[in-house]
Formats: sequence, C-alpha cells, structure tokens
Amino acid sequence: MSLAARIGSSLPAPLRTQRGKTALAFAVALVLPFLGHNGGFTNFLADAGAFVLLALGLNIVVGFAGLLDLGYAAFFAIGSYSFAMLASPQFGIHLPFWLLLFIASGIAAAFGILLGAPTLRLRGDYLAIVTLGFGEIVPQTFLNLSQWTGGPNGIGSLDQPAIFSYKFGFDALPYYFMVLGLIALAVWVANNLRTSRLGRAWMAIREDELAAAHMGINTTTTKLAAFAMGASFSGLAGCALASKLQLVSPDQFGFNVSVFILAMLVLGGMGNIPGVIVGSLILSALERFVLPQGTNFLHGLNINVDLTNSRFLIYGVILVMMMLFRPEGLIPSGQRKAELHAADEDPTAAAREQTLYTESVT
Amino acid sequence: MRLSVPQAILAVALAASLSACTSSGSSSSSSASSGASGGTIKIGVDLPVSGADASIGLPTQNGAVLAVEEANQNGFAGGKFKLDTSLLDDAVQGKHDPAAGAQNVKTFISDSAVLAMVGPFNSNVAKSEIPLTNDAGLAQISPSNTNDGLTIGEDAKKLRTAHPDVNSYFRVCTRDAKQGAALAQVASDRLKLKKIFVIDDNETYGKGLADVFDASFRQLGGTVLGHEHITANQVDFKALLTKIKAQNPDAVFFGGNTSTGGGLIRRQMADVGLGKTPFLGGDGISDDEFEKQAGDSANGSYMTVASPDATKLPSAKSFVDAYKARFKSDVGPYSANAYTAAKIEIAAFEKAIADNGGKMPTRGDVLKYIAATKEFESPIGKVGFDANGDTTSPVLSLLNVRGGKKVVIDVIQLKS
Amino acid sequence: MHFDPVLFAQQLVNGLSLGGIYALIALGYTMVYGIIELINFAHGDVYTLGTFFSLAILTLLGVTGVVTGPMLIVVVAVTIFGAMILCGLTGVIIERLAYRRLRNAPKLAPLITAIGMSFILENLMLYWKGPSPIPFPAVIPNPEFTLGAVTIQAKQVMVILLAIVLMVVLQAFVYNTKLGKAMRATAQDKDAAQLMGIDINTTIALTFLIGSALAGAAGFVSGVYYGSTWFFNGFGAGLKAFTAAVLGGIGNLAGAMLGGFLIGLIEAMTTQFIGDQWSNVVVFSVLVIVLIFRPSGLLGEALPNKV
Repeated sequence: MSLAARIGSSLPAPLRTQRGKTALAFAVALVLPFLGHNGGFTNFLADAGAFVLLALGLNIVVGFAGLLDLGYAAFFAIGSYSFAMLASPQFGIHLPFWLLLFIASGIAAAFGILLGAPTLRLRGDYLAIVTLGFGEIVPQTFLNLSQWTGGPNGIGSLDQPAIFSYKFGFDALPYYFMVLGLIALAVWVANNLRTSRLGRAWMAIREDELAAAHMGINTTTTKLAAFAMGASFSGLAGCALASKLQLVSPDQFGFNVSVFILAMLVLGGMGNIPGVIVGSLILSALERFVLPQGTNFLHGLNINVDLTNSRFLIYGVILVMMMLFRPEGLIPSGQRKAELHAADEDPTAAAREQTLYTESVT
Repeated sequence: MRLSVPQAILAVALAASLSACTSSGSSSSSSASSGASGGTIKIGVDLPVSGADASIGLPTQNGAVLAVEEANQNGFAGGKFKLDTSLLDDAVQGKHDPAAGAQNVKTFISDSAVLAMVGPFNSNVAKSEIPLTNDAGLAQISPSNTNDGLTIGEDAKKLRTAHPDVNSYFRVCTRDAKQGAALAQVASDRLKLKKIFVIDDNETYGKGLADVFDASFRQLGGTVLGHEHITANQVDFKALLTKIKAQNPDAVFFGGNTSTGGGLIRRQMADVGLGKTPFLGGDGISDDEFEKQAGDSANGSYMTVASPDATKLPSAKSFVDAYKARFKSDVGPYSANAYTAAKIEIAAFEKAIADNGGKMPTRGDVLKYIAATKEFESPIGKVGFDANGDTTSPVLSLLNVRGGKKVVIDVIQLKS
Repeated sequence: MHFDPVLFAQQLVNGLSLGGIYALIALGYTMVYGIIELINFAHGDVYTLGTFFSLAILTLLGVTGVVTGPMLIVVVAVTIFGAMILCGLTGVIIERLAYRRLRNAPKLAPLITAIGMSFILENLMLYWKGPSPIPFPAVIPNPEFTLGAVTIQAKQVMVILLAIVLMVVLQAFVYNTKLGKAMRATAQDKDAAQLMGIDINTTIALTFLIGSALAGAAGFVSGVYYGSTWFFNGFGAGLKAFTAAVLGGIGNLAGAMLGGFLIGLIEAMTTQFIGDQWSNVVVFSVLVIVLIFRPSGLLGEALPNKV
C-alpha cells in the first residue's frame, strides 16, 4: 500500500472521509506555527503560503488550461502594486484591506484578460514567449514610471490589515492565518472551477485546441477566463505579501520568480491541486531550510560550496529531470499522467486508453 | 501515488515542522535570555559576501569579525560573556537583494542572543530592513549606506512607523546629500568641469546619488546635459554613449555600482570616443572590481568613498596591521567602517552589562548606549551619532585612478 | 532636439553591429524551430558559452591584447573555429540528453526542459568564471574609418560582415547540399522525410550542431566587440534574438538576419530618441505586436494551421 493510503487507513473511521481528511489537514495547518520554536518558522509559513496562492493561480493557466505562462510574475507585480497604490501614503489613499483583496484581484484579472488577449491565436511556444515578454515589460515599466510607482525605491509603509480594532502589526502569525484563509478560498474556487463546465473546457483546450473548437467551445472566452482567474489569485497573494513585507519594489518580480513558481507546478504535478500545494511547499522549504542547512553541513565538512546560491541551478535540474522522467509531477492527476505518457506507448493503444479512461474523483 | 488535498497537506506539514525543528536557520539555541549572567552575545552581520558585490562586501565583513575576535581576546566584559557573530549574506544570484536582507534581519531578531547588528551594505537593502529593526528595537549600524532617505525626511519617517519616536538605525559613513554635493563641488571647483552628462542605474542608491549630484552641480552653475537611466543586466552601452558623445560633455557622471554597470560603461566609453573624458562616480565604483572591468579605460576616473583612507590615518595603523595579519590581504574601503561599527556596539554591550549588574542586557539598553555615542575613538577618527543616526563627523576620500590603480588624492572633511 | 543626420548614421552603425550579433544567434533559433518547432531556450546561453570558450582558447594561445601580423589570422581562425566546434558539440549534447526523448511529448514539456537547461548552463558558467563581467582580449587591431562625419570601428565592420557572410554560407549549405536538403525536408514534414529514407535523428542533431556553432561564432564576435563577457549575457540577448527570428519570419534564414539587424536598430534608436530605460520595453513590445498582427513575420509565408 502506498504511504498515503497507509496513513489514510490508519486514521479513525470518522476521519477517513474526504471531509474528515480536509478537516484534519486544516487542523494541522492551524497548529503548525506553534510547533516551531521561533518566529522564523511562522514567518516562513506565511511567505510559503502566499507562494502556494501564486502556484494555485498559475496552475489554472498552465495546469488546467495548458497555456504555458512564463511571465506570471507580471500579474503578481500588478496585484502587489495595485494594493500598494491604494493602501499607502503614496497617493494618500487608504482603502480597507479586505476591500482591497477584491479590488487587487479584480485589477489583476482585468490585466490577465488584457495581456492574455494578444496570445489567443498563438500556439503553445509562441504564447510562452509572449508571456515572457510581458514578464519583462511590466516590472520595467513599473520601475520607469517613478512618478507613480516610486521607481527603484518602490512604495513603502503600506497599510497593515486590521480586523475591527486589531491591527496586524509586524508579527507574522496573523498574516499566516489570513493567508491560510485565502488558500482555503483559492482551493475551493479552483476545485469548483475544475469540475465545472469551464474547467472541462480548459481541459479540452489543453488536450487539443482544434478539436475543442470544433466541439463548440469558444476558445477565446475560455482562454481569457483562464488568464483572468489565474491572475486574480496573484492579486490576493500580492495583497498578502505586500502588506506583510511593507514594501513593493520592481526587483521582487523578475523572471526568476516566474520560473520559481513554474517549477513548483512541475515538481508537484501540473493541474493537480494537492500536487501544486505540495510542490510549492517543498520548494519554499528547500530554499528556506534545506539549502542553508545543507550549506552549513558542507561547511562543517570543509567543503566550501554555498548551496543557497546554487538554488537556480537546482531549480533548472528539477525542471529538466521532472520533464524527462516524471512530467506529471510528484503527485499527478491520473489523466495528466496518461496524457504525458501516451506518446511513449503504441499510439493506437494510447488513443484507446484515453477514450476509456475516466478521470477518477479525487 | 495519489494523495488527496488534505493528505498532501498533512504530509508536507509534518515534513516541514520536522525540518523546522531540526533546523534553526543560523540562530544557535544557546542563546541566553535577558537577565541571565554569562552566555553569548552576538552581533548580527548582514552584508553581500557572495557574487559581484563580494569584492567589497567580504572585506567589510572581515572588519566586523576582527573587532569581535579582538574583543574576545582582550577579555570582553571581564570574560563573563562570550562575543560571537552571526554572519549572513544578502546577495542572491550574485547581487545584493532587499528581500534576502529582510529575511536575514528577521533571523537576527528571532535570535535573542543578537543584541545589535552591522549592515547592510546597500541602501535598497536597508529600506527593507529598517522597518523591521525599528519594530524590534534592534540597534543597526551600517558601515556604508549613503542614501539620504534612510535617516532624513519623509522617506525616513515612513520606515519607522512602528516606533516613530525611536531611532534604531545608525551609520558611520556620510550620506549621499553630502557625497553628491561634494562630488559636484569637486567637479566644478577642482576639476573645472562645465557640462556633465549624468547616468544612473535606476536603483535606490544610484539614482539617489545621481539626483543629488544633478541638482548640486546645477546649483554651482554647471550644466547637466542630460540624465538617463540604464536597465538591469544591460551590457551594451554604445547607443547611450554615442548619444552622450554627440553632446560633447566635459565629463560623465555615473550613479550606481560596479556590479550594476559602472565598469562596463567606462570601458565602452573608449569605443565611442569618450575614452579621455573624465568619469565620475561615488562609492559604488570604489571597489577593485571597477578597474578590472573598465580595463585600460579605468584611468581618468574619479570616485569618492564615504570613509577616510585607513591606510593613511595614524589612528588606523594598528587596525590595518591587525587586519593584514588576520586575513592575509589588504583592507577594503569599508573594512575600517565595519570595524568601527562593531566596536561601538561592543562598547555599548559592556556599558549595558555593567549597568545591568553583570547580567545579560536588553536590546533597548544597548540601543540607548549606541545612540549616545559621542567622540568614540576609532580607526576612522572620532565618531558620534546625531539624533537622526547620522555621523557627526562625515568625511569623504576622493580617489583617482592612475596607472590602473586607485589613489587617494584628497580627504574632504564635511560639515555635519 | 533637431534631427542630426550624422548622429543618426552613427546610431545606425551601432544598431547594425548589435544587430549582427542578434542575427547570428537568431539563425540558430530559427533553424531549430524550423525543424522541430522548439524554442531552444538554452540557445542564448550557448552563445555565452561561445564567448567563454573563445576566452579559454585565447588564454591557451597566450593572447592578452591585440595580435598583429599574419598571426592574427591564425589566432582568429583557431579561436572562432574552436568556439564553433565546442558550441556545436554542446548543442548536440543538449539535444541528445534533454530534447530527443521529448520530441513527441506535448509542447509544454520540451519548452520547460529548455528553460531548465538554460538555468543549468547559466549557473555552470557562474561557477566557471564568477558573477562579474570578465575582460576579453582585444585580439584584432581596431582602426577607425570615417565615412563622411561618421566614425566606424573595424570591430563593428567585422560583426556586420561576419553575420552576412555566415548567413550566406548557411543559405548555400541549406539549399545546395544533400544534408541541407535533408534539413529542409525534415522541417517541412518530419514523417514524410523519414519515409523517404532520411535519418531524422542525425538531421536534427546536425541542425543543432550548425545552429549552436553559429552561436559560438557570435560569442567570439561579442567578446571582441565589447571587450568583456558575462555569465548572464545570454539571457537578454537570447530573448531579443528570438524576437528577431520571429520578426523576420521563423524558419527563414534571411529573415533571421534581417530581424536581427532590425532589432539592433530598434534598440539603438529607442535609446537615442526615447531613452535607454525604455529600450527593452520597446523591443519586447515589438515582439508582442508582431505576434498579434503578423505572426508569420516579415519574410515568412502565412502558414496555414496544420490540422
């Protein structure tokens, strides 16, 4: 039996249901920050959580709809700067945080449509390059328009969230719980989207766009919806991280960030929500704990290598290795696995398998 | 293997908490809590010590490390406490990174043995760190941040929203308003330049310095022919320099670092016929890397360093010798500054311990003594801090590149 | 600012020189894309490797400055060919290791692999030579010529000429040799070519060999032109070279060269008339605009969507 199945079946009966497992997971997540013995762990959890949100967003674009977006950080930038401009001394506007969650994700979604529109007629690889282009254009534009965006200094002293009279302050704990709530919302939305008609339309486009169009799917609106929904998540993440860090600046949104988030999907399992969450947490933990610890360990052995500086090499290796040997990710959805391995086998057998294969309910 | 959402979260949560409990980042678990007598006190040091900034970051770190080692050897706090450093790097992919700096400061803050910190090196990193140290009340002395907005004006206030009436950030070097003004003075009075074209790297430090120079030079009656910003990772400057050449400048001013393009710009100036035109900059191009990257064109460049030339000051001789003996290499431009910063913090520790009856002091006590520093004898002269955390004895060294090497040609004592 | 024709011409020369380097890189992109419809993300980094290999060869030959006399031709020939061979081999190895397995996989897979490959190469070069730019020997004497009031350096002439010459040679190869024919056939229809007896694997490997070799040549040229190199050179240059390939018409060799020169010109002119800080934004906006309104590029034929 797989490890997961063994854990699953060792739980007491009432917890073995889907609801039970979800409840257990959330209970664990709630208690998690208190397991670490310094604020550093909570801080990590809050940041990692925001990146889970980003990964979930990109998952809609890349995982569900199969649109390879290499410039997702652009939407992250738009979400963050939207928040910053409306909740700081920059223009003197101070909208309430909870309202801004809606506004920022709305603005990001709008830009998702705007930046997605030029890509509609493009094939996969061209689409990727255009999104990469936007990933370069957007942060540079924010940097250049220093009148409104603070230029290289960015926008600082952003408003911190507040629930009634409780202000969040500098401690990471309330941010973590807020992010947890946002993740719950995001997972709920993403799951519902996936099983909805729109979600199936995305899957159809991902598998074969031409066939999907001939089946009556409006590829234009379907693709734009993917960009919009995906971008909206980055609006949420932008608010969370910006309010926590108290600063947005152009150097937070480079190509490295886009690839980092993509690597999370590739590692965890594109298109599969639990996979994406796991992939995201693994890479965040890798960066924050494993690599520095590994470096200390190596220094102890007198090997003078700094693993944290090698992390982009490691991400590159992860991308290559995963694509070559396990493209469906660590925790794949069954259908994706079939899609990606179909070419390995006899093509007719693969075709037969795909028509017979029905997606199991998670 | 198929995992449902909840199972997956469970698995990762367990893994993460296991890893977090076995890891402690860089904080040691032997931290003493306030009030205990005996134990370890740490100075957190956050500087870019890898990558492109390492050539200037590492010697700076060495200065702080030397101060701590010397203090231990000379019986710090009567031997009751041990002094240690927590050394962290804020460079990512070879370049100083504000988010990494913020992360490092959070590590310092959560380590109760860290009672003060030295760093960061770069102004944009400081912008992300000051709100954190302000909130935690952790004293922070930078050896090299020169951006004005860190201590003066509206920008500075915005960084201290947690405790607006408390200042926990200090610097032993002067700031860009003075550095830029001094450079403008040098350009106008000493070098007799009339028309200058200004370039900057569109970063906090570079743009800030360039803006100050631009305004000051105009005020002194000079002409600024234009002010352009380069892009990150740019390697081809020919078009920009051709544009500049067409305006016949007496000199080109660059606000920025070697690691953001200073050396390459100087090198390519020769290709467009500006090879003999003087090149001016601030402390961002005061590292050895500049000459390497500018190659034969390095000569004729002028730059300032926000510290006196330690090798020339008699008060610095013992420091320079000790540094050479310990690290087997020459001091860097900011080694003495970092050394001084650490020594100020060590002195504050000792006073606070004495005040506390020999017990572990609080960060607040330490901060109090650091803020009260006046006329502190150091290798860089007598150092004191004003109410904003700026040094009361700002000094700049003017350097010129001759024969492929930097030479100090003047030391400028500025008004506080 | 009134229009200064001399300054404009000077920037023209700058743009063409920069563009020549883009053209050489773009040739490789367009060849590989034409044959297997893959954007070889790592191609820009092979270009950087070209500079690194050139530097290594020059160091081996003991060259630190300008070389004069007949030795100059020997040095340049050895270095360029050395860099081309080494880069060509690198390209072939990358194709064999990373891309061949994924030839029939959904497009996402090889593209993501290419990105990963690019990161790996960049970081290997970071380890090899460090994070800062490194000086590159001048190698060729660099007299200046004046055309009217415009000053042109020998280096710039070299870049522009080399791009044109290599493209012509490549064009001749592709259209006049059997191997070239095999490449064109594979690009047109892989399966049909296989049925006609063409060894697809070898043909594709050859394409990578030639494309990467051109990047190697671009690397040498760039090192001489700028007097320095840097591990991260390839990222921006690669992206802009791909833009050039698209602008000219993907799969079209003359288009790649034309596109390269055009992008170089656009960069130079944007810096001159708008400002350096906008040059990247403009170039990438060109990419977007071309792909919206004329995805087949300037010299490409409007291809029907293959069903």
